[in-house]
Amino acid sequence: MKRTTEQPAIEVTDLRKVYHKRGSMPVEALKGISFTVRRGEIFGLLGPNGAGKTTAIKILTTLLRPTSGSARILDRDVVQHPLEARRAMCAVMQDNAVEMFLSVQNNFRVYGRFHGMSGADISRQSSRVTEIFGLQDVLNMKGSELSGGQKRRVQVAKTFLVDKPVVFLDEATTGMDSFNKRETLEAIKHEASRGRTIVLTTHILEEAEELCDSLAIVNHGRIIASGSTQEVKSSSLRLITVTLTFNRVTSGVLRKLERLKPHKIAHTEDTIDVQVRSESVAMDVLNSVRSMRGFRHFEVAAASLEDVFMDIVDRQERAGDT
Amino acid sequence: MKGLFPVLYRDYVMRTTSPLWLFFDLVVPVMYLLMFGVGFNSALGLGIELEGRSLSYNEFFLAGVISMACFGLAMNQSYGFFVDRDSGIFYETLTYPITRGEFLLGKIIFQCILAVIQTALSLAAAAWILGVNIPSSSLVYLGVGILIVTSGWFFTFASLAFLMRRTDTFNTVINVVYFVLMFVSSMFYPIDRLPSAFRVLSYANPVTWHTDVFRWALTGVGSTESALVQAAAFFIFSLIAFRVALWALSRAVE
Repeated sequence: MKRTTEQPAIEVTDLRKVYHKRGSMPVEALKGISFTVRRGEIFGLLGPNGAGKTTAIKILTTLLRPTSGSARILDRDVVQHPLEARRAMCAVMQDNAVEMFLSVQNNFRVYGRFHGMSGADISRQSSRVTEIFGLQDVLNMKGSELSGGQKRRVQVAKTFLVDKPVVFLDEATTGMDSFNKRETLEAIKHEASRGRTIVLTTHILEEAEELCDSLAIVNHGRIIASGSTQEVKSSSLRLITVTLTFNRVTSGVLRKLERLKPHKIAHTEDTIDVQVRSESVAMDVLNSVRSMRGFRHFEVAAASLEDVFMDIVDRQERAGDT
Repeated sequence: MKGLFPVLYRDYVMRTTSPLWLFFDLVVPVMYLLMFGVGFNSALGLGIELEGRSLSYNEFFLAGVISMACFGLAMNQSYGFFVDRDSGIFYETLTYPITRGEFLLGKIIFQCILAVIQTALSLAAAAWILGVNIPSSSLVYLGVGILIVTSGWFFTFASLAFLMRRTDTFNTVINVVYFVLMFVSSMFYPIDRLPSAFRVLSYANPVTWHTDVFRWALTGVGSTESALVQAAAFFIFSLIAFRVALWALSRAVE
């Protein structure tokens, strides 16, 4: 049972960040983004590479100062009261940050000490996260001896070692195998169910779709869509995917479908995926093929978050071009 | 100030679980003292004439070894910073619930503790193995000096670690800086008989300033006025290094 409340955990208002580099033009990484994350919510910050997600996370975790605007973590301004803000959070940044010269066990000890835990609490919590993340075999290995995926697991495990109300996960599952990824996603859900607020960035949209209660899509430093995951999905002009299976896909079938002007069409030897923007066009697609020879099967599905994301970004890019 | 303890704890765990680092920090300068001391003392025979006084090489070199310890510890710490930044743990640490000041101060305190232990080991080795007389009046000057010298070089090398991005550049610069600053100074030999260009460079080198002050405290060679001027010069150098380190730290994060 999730414990989400209407009270904001994070409030971002008109946040701007301009990078100045000597000898080159200033780069405006964030152009005034605003969003609110409720307590106990899993919030996704999505966007293509270079969209401004990591800059936003760096400001929220007090690594960077914004050029203007404000950000508050549990009512603590990250610029005015950075230490207070840091006391309310823990973060996994994009690098595989582990202590290279320390064993995994000592990584936990040091991290726990930095977050004010007692030795007994660290021991208890270490055992818990070691089990959750399957780290028993690497507990005595040094950070420098771990693979990329193992380092990432240790890093995420550290944030679950401490009991901070707000957790930032920047591309948390990068480099993990499918099994560990699944374990990590379950652990994130479990932590959120305990009332922790989790902000994550990911380029794996299936993860965002599975985890996030709400999200914001960022592109070129601006939020181009935001709301609950369902709201964002439906904001993209109701994309529907119709999958048609034939004995063999012929050029005649493809020509017939293209006349209906679908949003997108893709095919293999025996399957055609037709993406359309309304239910009536989906019906037209089905009507146009159902009596055809060799037609075997159909499936209709709402578009995935990935389809919606691509559509929203694509539309924004085209609007920017014109 | 609660944030100081985890910084100290981290460095403590790091050193005690990687004995090679501890060996390098604590034992290498003593090895220099014993090996150079025995070798050069025998080779030079009567010793070194300095400002009208005759010193054995061991007496002369002890101040250099203490300088080397402070300087070397600061350099090792900068290597640690570079590795931390490279691995990303440096940025993660800056999201922990401690202030930037506590972070830097904790690092300096730990280095100063090591420098004090290292100096005690060097003084003990010099007194008991090499028979060097250590005046008790020098200990206060040495204590204060070690703290300032270690901090000054810590800020200097930390700035390099914050500003440099590539491992090969960092390693090359650090090795060249280490080599030049140590050998173009009064650490290993008196500089008054060196070629004039070499001598000018040595007098402009902050390593010479604090080595001469340590030597004055340990042997009484040099005037009090000159020791005060050199101590003040190094103190100003440390303040400038502190400002640069703060600037470099903010640049490293941006």
